[in-house]
Amino acid sequence: MTDIAATPRTGIEVWSILRWVLAILATIIAVLPIWWMINVVFSVPGEPVVINPRLWPTSLSSGLGKIHMILTETEYLRAYVVSLLYALLTIAGVTLIGSMAAFEFALFDFPGRRLLFSLVMLSLMVPVAVTIIPTYLLTAELGWLNTMQGLVVPGLSSAFGLFLLVQFMRSIPRDMIEAARLDGASHFDIYWHIVLPLSRNALITLAILTFMKTWGNYMWPLIVAPRPEMYTVGQVVGLFNSPYSHQTVDVVMTANLLAAVPPLIFFLIFQRKIVEGIAMSGSKG
Amino acid sequence: MLKRKYLPHYLMVAPFMVLFTVFFLYPIVSGFFYSFHKWNAAQPAVFIGLDNYRTILGSRDFEKAMWNLATYIVITVPLGIGTAFGLAVLVDSFTGRWAAFFRSVFFLPVVLPAFLAATIWRWIYTPNFGLLNMIFGWFGLPSVNFLNDTGVMLYSLIAVDVWVSAGFNMVIILAGLKNIPQELYEAARLDGATRFQQLIHVTIPMMSPVLFFVLTYGLISALQVFDVPWLLTGSSFSNYGGRRGALLFPVMDMMGRGFGGVKFGEAAAYGFLLTIVIMTVTAGMFTIRAWRERK
Repeated sequence: MTDIAATPRTGIEVWSILRWVLAILATIIAVLPIWWMINVVFSVPGEPVVINPRLWPTSLSSGLGKIHMILTETEYLRAYVVSLLYALLTIAGVTLIGSMAAFEFALFDFPGRRLLFSLVMLSLMVPVAVTIIPTYLLTAELGWLNTMQGLVVPGLSSAFGLFLLVQFMRSIPRDMIEAARLDGASHFDIYWHIVLPLSRNALITLAILTFMKTWGNYMWPLIVAPRPEMYTVGQVVGLFNSPYSHQTVDVVMTANLLAAVPPLIFFLIFQRKIVEGIAMSGSKG
Repeated sequence: MLKRKYLPHYLMVAPFMVLFTVFFLYPIVSGFFYSFHKWNAAQPAVFIGLDNYRTILGSRDFEKAMWNLATYIVITVPLGIGTAFGLAVLVDSFTGRWAAFFRSVFFLPVVLPAFLAATIWRWIYTPNFGLLNMIFGWFGLPSVNFLNDTGVMLYSLIAVDVWVSAGFNMVIILAGLKNIPQELYEAARLDGATRFQQLIHVTIPMMSPVLFFVLTYGLISALQVFDVPWLLTGSSFSNYGGRRGALLFPVMDMMGRGFGGVKFGEAAAYGFLLTIVIMTVTAGMFTIRAWRERK
């Protein structure tokens, strides 16, 4: 009797301890590489790893010195500006062009609406692999290699962005639009003064996801902007880490850390929006 | 008159549709055209029929890349989703502040750009004095050459891959878990189901639409893996894929032929071959789902 009564209780106790063990273990695995990177930056260079395995930071000034050195003595700062511009222009374009189209697809009916929308949604199934080389060749023909428009413009018609915005705008009550129309608002007024402000949350989510994607885009800048003046942070980080860079590990990790700072800050501020955006695209896909 | 009435609508969708046509539809068509031509972007394209496709299908690099890809996908997709599912269930077992804390922490690697994950892990994998080999040393294990031992390289990649992607899938799965009605668990509990039985008979069946999405999305992105193996092996267009091509994957092979070998026709053909593979896999997934739903 006692055995039967005891089994479920021990089962629960084992799980309540086990989940903490597993959660802490997973935390260590998730955080350790990032923590290690930070510690390599904030430690005295050349200190043998046997004495200091870089599991805690030892020298703040040494880390700041390396950051200062990278920003002033290498082309890193320029790459930072290029990457930020690339991200900001892409965000502006994707949200503006996408919201204009989504406004129509979600709230109005016109001949060809279904056809055009299905065509764009179908493109979500087409892998990047098939378009990247021909898109590169087109960009080259336009004379846009090593230019900001070459980086930005081909990525502006984001099917994913359109999908996200249409999903959101569908829930806007038509009555509001009709009421505005009766008050004499023009078609563009309705878009600009009513639908855009109501879609604020979706636009912010899209902007954040676009930032993460652009900042982390490695393949497109690698081929379309191969000149050092147009290097993005991704490319510079790639060069620092390449087998022929002759940089020591602490300098390389400083370059890596600097590249991680903007997305980490974004995450700290917009955590809920990022997580909701991903969860939403998953549950509705 | 009809056109007038609809003009504002067309004007609003025009910027998107024009860019979409120029930078998405046109490249697909032109890529298809180039795939039957020999072209290096400097001289005029020469029509060569199916030669590009024949060259690729007969090359050893293609065979190696496809073989690597198959092995990689069979391991990394189930392992990644399994890990994500485990993490989601784990986070779900906590409440309030701790649930939020663990969710954020497990999501942290997703926040980093994939190129950074690769460059950080490249150093963690360093032989002898790398962090991982040092930890191995504490337990008396021998040093492993993670990125140069052809028998280990694929698993080193998979570990990074799971580290990068688990948090992403976890968030999607977690949202699905929250949508399961609590009454189902209560009913199962009344029937005397253990926690494990609840997982098998309630959670997993209720989660199948979400798992289907995660699996399909995971497969499509795994088929196009590029950044992480490219950077882990320190690749460039003249030398890529790591030692003996142990981390050579189709997209890397395609990019190498295009930008290293300046054979854009061949690269375009490669893109179409890959698309056929990806579309087949995707169509297969949807067929399986339709078949299961009918049962």
